[in-house]
Amino acid sequence: MAVEALKHGHGTAQRPAAPRGLRRLTRGGWLRALWTTPLGFGLATALVCGIRWAAGWEPIWELQVLLTAWTIITPLAFLAGMGAFDYWAYWVSGRRTRPEDHSGHGADSWRDYLRVNTDHKVIGVQYVVTTFGFFLIAGLLALFVRAELAQPGSQFVDTQGYNGLVSAHAALMIFLFIVPVFAGFGNYVIPLMIGAPDMAFPRLNALSFWLLPIAGGTMLAGFLLPGGQFAAGWTNYPPLAEVNPVGNLMFQMGVQFAGASSILTALNFLVTIITMRAPGMTFWRMPLLVWANFTTSLLVVLATPFIAGSQFMLLLDRVLHTNFFVPDAAGYAIGYQHIFWFYSHPAVYIMILPGFGIISEVISTFARKPIFGYRLMALSLVAILILGFAVWAHHMFVAGMAPWLRIPMMVTTLLIAVPTGIKVFSWLATLWEGKLNLKTPMLWALGFILMFVIGGLSGVYLGSVTIDQHASDTYFVVAHIHYVLFGGSVFTIFAGAYYWFPKMTGRMYDERLGYVHFWLTVIGFNLTFFVQHYVGLQGMPRRVADYDPSFASWNMLSTIGAFTLGAGTLVFVYNLLVSWLRGSPAPANPWRARTLEWLVSSPPPKFNFEEIPTVVGGPYGYGVPGARHAVFNGDRAGTAEPEEVGAR
Amino acid sequence: MSAIAHGDGQRHGDHPPAAHASSRVPPVLVGMYLFIASEAMLFGSFFAAYFFARVSVGAETWPPEPFELPVFLALLNTIILVTSSFTIHWALQSIKRDDRAGLIAGLGLTFLLGLAFLLIQAREYTRLGFSPRDLGFGSTFYGLTGLHGLHVFVGLTLLAIAFVRAVRGHYSARNHQGVELPGIYWHFVDVMWIVVYTTVYVI
Repeated sequence: MAVEALKHGHGTAQRPAAPRGLRRLTRGGWLRALWTTPLGFGLATALVCGIRWAAGWEPIWELQVLLTAWTIITPLAFLAGMGAFDYWAYWVSGRRTRPEDHSGHGADSWRDYLRVNTDHKVIGVQYVVTTFGFFLIAGLLALFVRAELAQPGSQFVDTQGYNGLVSAHAALMIFLFIVPVFAGFGNYVIPLMIGAPDMAFPRLNALSFWLLPIAGGTMLAGFLLPGGQFAAGWTNYPPLAEVNPVGNLMFQMGVQFAGASSILTALNFLVTIITMRAPGMTFWRMPLLVWANFTTSLLVVLATPFIAGSQFMLLLDRVLHTNFFVPDAAGYAIGYQHIFWFYSHPAVYIMILPGFGIISEVISTFARKPIFGYRLMALSLVAILILGFAVWAHHMFVAGMAPWLRIPMMVTTLLIAVPTGIKVFSWLATLWEGKLNLKTPMLWALGFILMFVIGGLSGVYLGSVTIDQHASDTYFVVAHIHYVLFGGSVFTIFAGAYYWFPKMTGRMYDERLGYVHFWLTVIGFNLTFFVQHYVGLQGMPRRVADYDPSFASWNMLSTIGAFTLGAGTLVFVYNLLVSWLRGSPAPANPWRARTLEWLVSSPPPKFNFEEIPTVVGGPYGYGVPGARHAVFNGDRAGTAEPEEVGAR
Repeated sequence: MSAIAHGDGQRHGDHPPAAHASSRVPPVLVGMYLFIASEAMLFGSFFAAYFFARVSVGAETWPPEPFELPVFLALLNTIILVTSSFTIHWALQSIKRDDRAGLIAGLGLTFLLGLAFLLIQAREYTRLGFSPRDLGFGSTFYGLTGLHGLHVFVGLTLLAIAFVRAVRGHYSARNHQGVELPGIYWHFVDVMWIVVYTTVYVI
């Protein structure tokens, strides 16, 4: 791992000496987690069985209740073992707080990436690597699904197994890849971009990351349970969710951890952006990536509690036999859908707005032009944020909800195409007569615009009630979601991964392999999903393991596309892994970009800046004579001409 | 905000340059307000479930026959909780004047009032005559009041910690964030109860 942390100006970090012998078992880390985790597991078991025995409830060994206790207590015990709560435990104990010695900050060796680390750059890398791991797992599940669908009839899984594969694919992709990978990029670059030494709450930041592998582990553990993986889709509608086997719990609990992680990170982003900007960095001088994460974080903080609430109520319905969503006992099953989509529709903006930010950075940098309509780009993000809360019921046009809600929801849905359209036209206007530099990140950005416009257009189709009633629950919806989520979000993620790879690792990736990855993906992606528009409109239903033989050749084509896509992803993984180990060293600013993260070395020094820069202008002054974004003037304060940086 | 970056300014080794404070409000307060916004939305999801059970399902009377709610006992609880908002405010104002006795008394009183609220609610639960399993009505009633009770419990825990630290003399006119934060949270718990009470018991 090529992180040669640069020594900071005054002195070296004095980490506490490594403990020896049994002391190693009591200090936060993997060794302590090794005994606290089973301890938590045993405690949960004893608690449940003890209470059931004392109350005389039969049977004492009730798997569903035990799973609930296990999935709450064991992860907390693991986190405590890792040392995620050490500082707060010290605070709660009532002793005087210690001054921060930064002993948990930064990475000198690869081991520092495997512990609770408070450095936003380390956490950013932890996030991105972990989430890409989940991306590969969820992608593998998708390949299983496509293999099953290659031909009509049953290939190698039964229908319940198929539903489990589809549900786990969607849940992992959404909650453990797309949402958190943006938190990873944000973690790495936001403090750098706004000229801050770290995030506002570094320990909370570390906790947010460590909740993520727990969420993923919980969801994946569902495959091992009797009755199999959760299989009610990632939307987990009752009553199906309440009668399915116990695996369903693993979705409910996994989502709680992923949701907590994403709320805490969003809160951290907001506080960091509000309170820690460099002098001169007004809101109207912030890079659009920071704007995008600001609006996204507001969405996360305000919307995510709704999915937490919906899953809590489902859990209570299952485990305590309450009647929130049980129609037989005066509960309201469709109420779940309202509450769920009140989060999950804003969630699609949570999954695309940070990508919009990445694309704005990449396109401006590689077109060598200022972004077109900077303020409108920022304001359209805010418009999407507000409108995003007013469209949720368009997922429920055929669900049996109140009919009067349809037209208002259709209108707001179509309205949201306006701010999105503003963004697309702004990117095109930025490209217009630009001096295009077709490096890999730029290829992905251009591919994104094309794919996202296709997905956006089919979204406008589906937003209209009449077409939706025909296309609902068909492969047309599957095609739409993948054009906006894969052709949209994942393309921006690839753009961001290549764009910041030199900054994060200090190495250059292989440009040629980047091209191969891009073209394999674009071809495979369109082969997989474009045909699904057609079969969907012909009436092929989604989420069903079998289909009418007349769709066979289209589905075979789709499967071939999916495996091409998989091959492309392998090229990506190979490229980045080998480049990380053996790539040529990256200069501080390989793209001649102008935002603040490119002012420091690659990878940046431990505390980002020797001195906080002063921001004197907007971040996209490409080709504008005399334009500059930031200066370092601390030591030269008062001299006539501050040193110009960033502009070349 | 040099306080975040530097602790008390001692240097133990590598230290970042102090972050530039771009807001007059301290980071922890901004964080607390955002956290409360998030909490309010969590309540929102339970309110949504409540109104679905009440309005969409269309019971003829509310609460549905034969259930009744102890409106006046809950009013007593409301008065207790509103009073505790004043006592926590008194505690905070006291320490701003460096009056430690007032701080300790205010925190102690607030804690006791909060505890009284929880105990009365627990007593109420045992005598209501219906359980969370009784219709969507029971589930949403216990869901909302239980979620609020959980928040009172968390608030009490924070108050207890603040109380211990106050007795040990950790707070002063210059340094009282450890009182201010639980205080803000406590006000939120209080305001939320007024909304819950009005929705569930009164209207």
